[in-house]
Amino acid sequence: MSTILYQPPADPALLSQPPQRPWRHKPRSFTTAVALAVIVPAVITAALFFLSPIPGAIVLVVVYFPLQLLASGIAAWATRGVRGIADSVIIVNAIGATVFSFVVLASLIGSLIVRGLRALSAHFVYQNSVYISPSTPLDYGGIGHALIGTILVVAVATAVAVPIGIATAIYITEVRGRAVPYVRFFVQAMSGVPSVVAGLFILTIAVSTGWFSQNAFAGGLAYAILMLPTVARTAEEVLKLIPDELRTGALALGSTRARTVMRVVLPAAKTGIITAILLGIARVIGETAPLLLAAGNNDGTVLNPFGQAIASIPVYIFNNVAVPYPDAVARAWGAALVLMILIAVLFTVARFLGRGRVGRAK
Amino acid sequence: MSTAEFEEVAMMESDLLAPRAIAVSELRAENVSVWFGKRKVLENVNIDFPKNTVTALIGPSGCGKSTFIRTLNRLHELIPGAALAGSVLYEGKDIYSSDIDPVHIRLQIGMVFQKPNPFPSMTIRGNVLSGLKLSGMKRDNHDDIVEQTLTAAGLWNEVKDRLNHAAGDLSGGQQQRLVIARALAVQPSVLLMDEPCSALDPASTLKIEETIRQLSKEVTIVIVTHNMQQAVRVADNTAFFLAQEGEPGHIVEQGLTTDIFGQPQDQRTLDYVNGRFG
Repeated sequence: MSTILYQPPADPALLSQPPQRPWRHKPRSFTTAVALAVIVPAVITAALFFLSPIPGAIVLVVVYFPLQLLASGIAAWATRGVRGIADSVIIVNAIGATVFSFVVLASLIGSLIVRGLRALSAHFVYQNSVYISPSTPLDYGGIGHALIGTILVVAVATAVAVPIGIATAIYITEVRGRAVPYVRFFVQAMSGVPSVVAGLFILTIAVSTGWFSQNAFAGGLAYAILMLPTVARTAEEVLKLIPDELRTGALALGSTRARTVMRVVLPAAKTGIITAILLGIARVIGETAPLLLAAGNNDGTVLNPFGQAIASIPVYIFNNVAVPYPDAVARAWGAALVLMILIAVLFTVARFLGRGRVGRAK
Repeated sequence: MSTAEFEEVAMMESDLLAPRAIAVSELRAENVSVWFGKRKVLENVNIDFPKNTVTALIGPSGCGKSTFIRTLNRLHELIPGAALAGSVLYEGKDIYSSDIDPVHIRLQIGMVFQKPNPFPSMTIRGNVLSGLKLSGMKRDNHDDIVEQTLTAAGLWNEVKDRLNHAAGDLSGGQQQRLVIARALAVQPSVLLMDEPCSALDPASTLKIEETIRQLSKEVTIVIVTHNMQQAVRVADNTAFFLAQEGEPGHIVEQGLTTDIFGQPQDQRTLDYVNGRFG
């Protein structure tokens, strides 16, 4: 018996077969069952919704959801047997939970846009609030001063909290010193500090003692206290995911531990570190209490972080929303919308920066 | 002659005429081509895996052996952008036909991977029985199953006194044999092995090779290996895969292991099995 050599197929069409994805083809019975499982509960719910006086929310929860579960279960049982039922229950619940959280998020953003748009205009973004009272019409005044204030405060907080937070994470995962359990314990305890306490802390140790006045720097320090545990813990989790082979690989090339961390470990964790910073910023950017206490408020624009009291968007919202003038409330909504857009821009830029040119390490 | 009779005769024949390559085909690839995205990595692969034989797939790195073995139990499709043409016949039926449940296929065509992957949160016993739990398969006498499969995998004597210890405490070679026992507990009729010994020491490798020889009495085995001596030691049949620079891989030559290594017809096969490249 001898071996079989490769022979091109007799039919040349076999060589130029197009790529296919046979696993995407579902049998017709399967497609029919899925279609029925989607349409039947929807039709029954729609009929109840339009033809009966029962409120829509109750129809959705009491009728639609159980009906959908039942229909999917039956469809799965008919096509895949008993084992399909558990699958379908999990899938329906997963899709239901996703849709629910998406609807909540969408309605939140939607109401913010609907109400915020009334105040939003070009001058709303760059003007300040000098000479503006709650009863002034929306044609005048804006939140330029508060926007600058928020950016300054967050910049100070980031400059303080990010180096300390990443250093903490490096101590825990790379240095692995004796104090690791205590450091980790204190970082965890710190994440439970209420934001008002962080503000009070800065107010009592720095502002009341006369070191400096209420300003962006003091507000930034208060923010940094809240930001630090988030940055440190997220960075720690990210650094833990970097495989030890990378560290030993660098050490085996004669690298020092410090250089291993700076040149190999941190760059490999770049995307994750940026996420840690973003989560830290997201944690603090809407906090009102620390700034109310440590940064104060101002109707005019302040550019010096070490100067006088400074406005910020959360404090601006806080002051305007509790006033019985519709235009002031509209301004508060507008400010909230601007804050959300600011966060979106920040995150987009950071994601863009995080996309490294070398490698796709995650 | 009925199929059962034919199988019986074929088995008898194969017992008489070792190496046993003429038995009934159980798994068979016909004109299989494989893509990742737009890149074609395998072209027109035709190969037969007769029942209860061991087939070794050899060839240099990057020629598509591992990709090919993953098309045999429908793991290939889990990679985003994966595509395929041709058909894979298991017991005469295309496993890619739309009425086939991939879960069912993977239950009958088991797989052992390059790196041992016991479930770290389970005990040794729990790992062996995990396939039954995960697939919902009902089998009685779990104690017997644990003993049988661990014995078949050549691990029983080493672990019988510590079945409730964590699987992570075992050495790499023991973990790999545990994973083989785990794969056997769901009674697959085909076992795919993707370089099962590449991370192991010679002693563990030898044990696993003995295990493979034992298993081949009941299970059809397809093994990808970089170790040509291993192919000679365990395989009845061998297929040599090769990919030219920038072109999709294909099977250059296949046949009885003794022929592939003893009297190959293609110059490239001769060079490869003699260690001149790859």
